Amino acid sequence: MIYLDNGATTYPKPERVRRAVADAFVRFGANPGRGGHAMSMATAELVYRARAEAADFFHAPDSSCVVFTMNCTHALNAVIKGTLTPGSHAVVSCLEHNAVMRPLRKLAEQDVSFTQARVYPGDNDATVDAFRRALRPETKLIVCTHVSNVWGIRLPVERIAAMARQYGVPICVDAAQSAGVFPVELEEGCFDFICAAPHKGLYAPMGLGLLITSRGEALDTILEGGTGTNSVSFDQPQEMPERLESGTLNVPAVAGLRAGLAFVREKSRERILHHELSVARAAWRALRALDRVELFSPEPDGESFAPVFSFRVRGVPSEETAAALAQAGIAVRAGLHCAPAAHRFMGTLESGAVRICPSAFTTEQEIRSFAAVMRSVVRNSQDVHKERL
Amino acid sequence: MERPLFTVSSITRAMQARDLLRRHGIQATVERVPHTPGMGCGYGVYAPGRAQEALPILIRAGYLAGGQGGGPR
Repeated sequence: MIYLDNGATTYPKPERVRRAVADAFVRFGANPGRGGHAMSMATAELVYRARAEAADFFHAPDSSCVVFTMNCTHALNAVIKGTLTPGSHAVVSCLEHNAVMRPLRKLAEQDVSFTQARVYPGDNDATVDAFRRALRPETKLIVCTHVSNVWGIRLPVERIAAMARQYGVPICVDAAQSAGVFPVELEEGCFDFICAAPHKGLYAPMGLGLLITSRGEALDTILEGGTGTNSVSFDQPQEMPERLESGTLNVPAVAGLRAGLAFVREKSRERILHHELSVARAAWRALRALDRVELFSPEPDGESFAPVFSFRVRGVPSEETAAALAQAGIAVRAGLHCAPAAHRFMGTLESGAVRICPSAFTTEQEIRSFAAVMRSVVRNSQDVHKERL
Repeated sequence: MERPLFTVSSITRAMQARDLLRRHGIQATVERVPHTPGMGCGYGVYAPGRAQEALPILIRAGYLAGGQGGGPR
């Protein structure tokens, strides 16, 4: 199989991640922060080390700033629902994933409003201005994707954060597609909240999310329960990160995250980006050479466009193209990618698109094979097109 | 014999406090706090033989202020 669906989750995972997860079932099989016996304490130590390493990776002040959630969607919900109260307003980009749009739509039932700021790909001044114009006196939060999961458009989140700071509005960055590929740093970026999907660019297992913040105490909780401390009280503890971490953690995934972070550190984020750009460009160029293939973004440059993009074959539903690729052993994702806002922006809401997203493991040879299959897919679709005529 | 254990408000803070003491050259470990009526479960930091030295460091760093943190018990 040639796997180009790394925007959904990276595959394969590095060998060291697979080993760490398997090892966790043997060595760290007890519940962390719950008991005082040796294995519980050892597991708690593992979780603590993972927190400290994640804090270091995201340039957060310390391990208290790292919350392990179920996934990135959970982290985004925790920020959005923990911040916005009736009568308040949020600003989001016009490219947001449903992990942002659906919580906001739900909150609209409680008199929370939001504005979608237009993004101007490649024109950061215009994008920042659009966010500024969308602010209102009652704006309590900006939520902004770092990289569009459909088009690879990279938003100037650091500049938006600097602007937001001038107006005293906290900003939450959805780094689902960017963590591990681009720098996402809490303190340097002046971000209030970073939500990440470690099973993507950090090569961790699925079933784990990250919320990085030094303002966790300010969030209202959306989930309460056991934290292993002060258990005589029915009140949720104030201390971070436990305040936002009720219930048992996915320890094998946390173990995998540690190994994934080590993998990214060792390979280096810059080299991973360079490699992904190289193979994404090769795929983009191969598609551009094909008649009837529509590309919606320029060649990925790493500045304004990340190494992820989508295309469609004119006259062919995106799911059909993906099915033809799957038949040839190539894994991609078609449709709306849980981001109808991003598809509306590009005019592909009706047709959907086919997404190509490489990882550190994607090879040039795999891209050449993909290109060869795509030539055949387009040729066959032309034949079908003629028959229909 | 009394065995001084600094109770802190969470396992994360207990491990942070332990690491802080170690950076100050004080050997310390994290331990489960014996059940205390009115408080429930918790964790603490044990600094064998150097509790008096550890106390001001932990107070200064905020580990023993507020919440349910407390001094040696």
